[in-house]
Amino acid sequence: MKAYLGIDVGSVTTKLAVLDENNKLIAHTYLLTSGKPTAMVQQGLVQIKEHLPPDAEISGVATTGSARYLAGVVVGADLVKNEITSHATAALFYFPQVQTIIEIGGQDSKIIIIRDEIVTDFGMNTVCAAGTGSFLDHQALRLNMSIEEFSRRAMNHQTPVRIAGRCTVFAESDMIHKQQMGHRIEDIIYGLCQALVRNYLNNVGLGKEIKPPIVFQGGVAFNQAIVRAFQEELATEVIVPPHHEIMGAIGAALLAHEEMTGYNNRRSQFKGLDVSQIKYNTSSFECKACPNLCEIAQLQTDSQVLARWGGRCDLWERAPSEEAK
Amino acid sequence: MRVSMPHMGNLYIPFKALFQRLDIDFVIPPISNQRTLSLGTKYSPEGLCIPFKLALGNLIEAAEMGADALIMPVGNGICRLGYYAQTQEQILHEIGYANVRVVRIGISEHKLLGLLKTIKYLANNASWPRIISTFRFGLTKLNALDRIERIVQKVRAVELVKGTANQLFAQAVDAIDKADDYNTLKKAQADYLDRLDRIPKDPQAQPLLVGIIGEFYVLLEPFSNLDVESELGKLGVEVRRTTFTSSWTKFSLFLNSLGINEKDRIHRAALPYLKRDIGGEGWESVGEKVLHAKEYDGIIHLAPFTCMPEVVAQNIMPSTRESIPILTLICDEQTTKTGMLTRLEAFVDLLQRKRRAGTNKQPRVTVRGGYT
Repeated sequence: MKAYLGIDVGSVTTKLAVLDENNKLIAHTYLLTSGKPTAMVQQGLVQIKEHLPPDAEISGVATTGSARYLAGVVVGADLVKNEITSHATAALFYFPQVQTIIEIGGQDSKIIIIRDEIVTDFGMNTVCAAGTGSFLDHQALRLNMSIEEFSRRAMNHQTPVRIAGRCTVFAESDMIHKQQMGHRIEDIIYGLCQALVRNYLNNVGLGKEIKPPIVFQGGVAFNQAIVRAFQEELATEVIVPPHHEIMGAIGAALLAHEEMTGYNNRRSQFKGLDVSQIKYNTSSFECKACPNLCEIAQLQTDSQVLARWGGRCDLWERAPSEEAK
Repeated sequence: MRVSMPHMGNLYIPFKALFQRLDIDFVIPPISNQRTLSLGTKYSPEGLCIPFKLALGNLIEAAEMGADALIMPVGNGICRLGYYAQTQEQILHEIGYANVRVVRIGISEHKLLGLLKTIKYLANNASWPRIISTFRFGLTKLNALDRIERIVQKVRAVELVKGTANQLFAQAVDAIDKADDYNTLKKAQADYLDRLDRIPKDPQAQPLLVGIIGEFYVLLEPFSNLDVESELGKLGVEVRRTTFTSSWTKFSLFLNSLGINEKDRIHRAALPYLKRDIGGEGWESVGEKVLHAKEYDGIIHLAPFTCMPEVVAQNIMPSTRESIPILTLICDEQTTKTGMLTRLEAFVDLLQRKRRAGTNKQPRVTVRGGYT
């Protein structure tokens, strides 16, 4: 049985999804990236191998997410795709009528506008992480509760407190202020969820025509309180797909399938599920060829450099296989 | 007196020709790089735009090379640029270059005459015929550079080995810089146009056509926009831009004084949505979007962070009747290549799928998932 693997390596989590020939999800995994994208991809492959039916043969691989190039080299990807296209592909596959995708991950948030099954516009947060998962994590940690408890307790609000959500720093001091005033913690954290939603709509969603059906993807969609806050603010239903947290990986797998079976009928470059045996090193150096002093990152095994990137020009990208520097 | 000026793309080449021929002591600061930006950012008020910061960095690096007469454009009513020369002069004095003078060239009035008078002054009162003839030679170099760049923008999208056109372009810039007379210059131009023509290209390619619009400086200085045009070329996109240094010079120095304005057409297109000049290139951005909506597959709008005119334009553009996918990229010292590439890749995917859907109307047949 042919199968297609999608790998989404984000800033906070690493997701892998395998689809069969009928695009049915047959295996998936969700790990914390913990700042070690290479090791986590390898670990993810080990887990996938355990879940995979024995007759499944990976016939195409695509990577996405902020470490898509790195992951692509590690596994031997057939396609490296940006996360916007991947998320849109997955959402369109399950919900062909979708007109708006809200995606909130660990460090970034996106909006994707779709009309007639085609992406017509998109936006990403630029300078601020006030509306992302990491911020919620941080606040939950500060209040000494797990993110699950945070979500559960926020749902128990009575009269939400208005929190200034424009900036994480202001939001935090405003929350502390409201705590010291004696507001209920449930009302404060739901107020924070509302602030995050307002911030998202006013920044990422600015100037975008948000029409239903709306699909909400990404790890933050686990948080029931955020979903509720979106529904209240937009006054419409917000659909959270069952596998919302791995939609990027599913989208990548769909794109891998399309890439490998379309007009080009290629052979997969995939290095196999046992790639976890290989030891990879990442390092970086400053290029001194010109005054730009670019920081060049490189991925290497013991014997050879596999890839380099990070330069303003393609001086180092051109010759990846020479001696390690 | 040692003369220098900030960089903007290849503008230094015609000026170098001009000053050399007039025997002016002239130095060129290093091409804008990370050090330039760090220096400029360090000594600039934080809220100013990247054109100010990079130009200041260039001026500091020029001052380090002993330059004491630094040329900066100024003007009335265009934007904060009107005060940049004065502010930069003050900053240079404060950080220890007490003898440096910033020589202002008015680009909103005086124009040609003002520029020529400044050159005459810098050239130690050289004769008018000598100034006019060298000025013409400088302009010819500028035209040659821009003609070649227009072809490079096309070739980048379809070349088989990515990066070939850029390498040739760098050589062409060098050859034009070195050309000492009209003959050599003409030969260099013809030679490189021919070599660009002979680069192996994908005969099947039907590249997407993307228009680049926005603020003048970030359009013309590749360092400030993280070389967005080459990145688009790598993604197989042909870039078209109406703003070139040569056309701008031609119009703002000569034809405008005769009452001919290339921008009239662009302004007319913008009229239903914006009735007046709002500074910078805000009016032009709106007009170009409207004008080219039918012609291009998509538009990339470049704007410096904190640029008021472009922010206004950015907010008008989505609501015009003439619709076309548009991506605004904000250029700043904080802008990262990774963030830009993700947006560019997604934008190119969007345009490709849109084109495919437009040419192939029958619905895609795929197995649907089971959630709905």
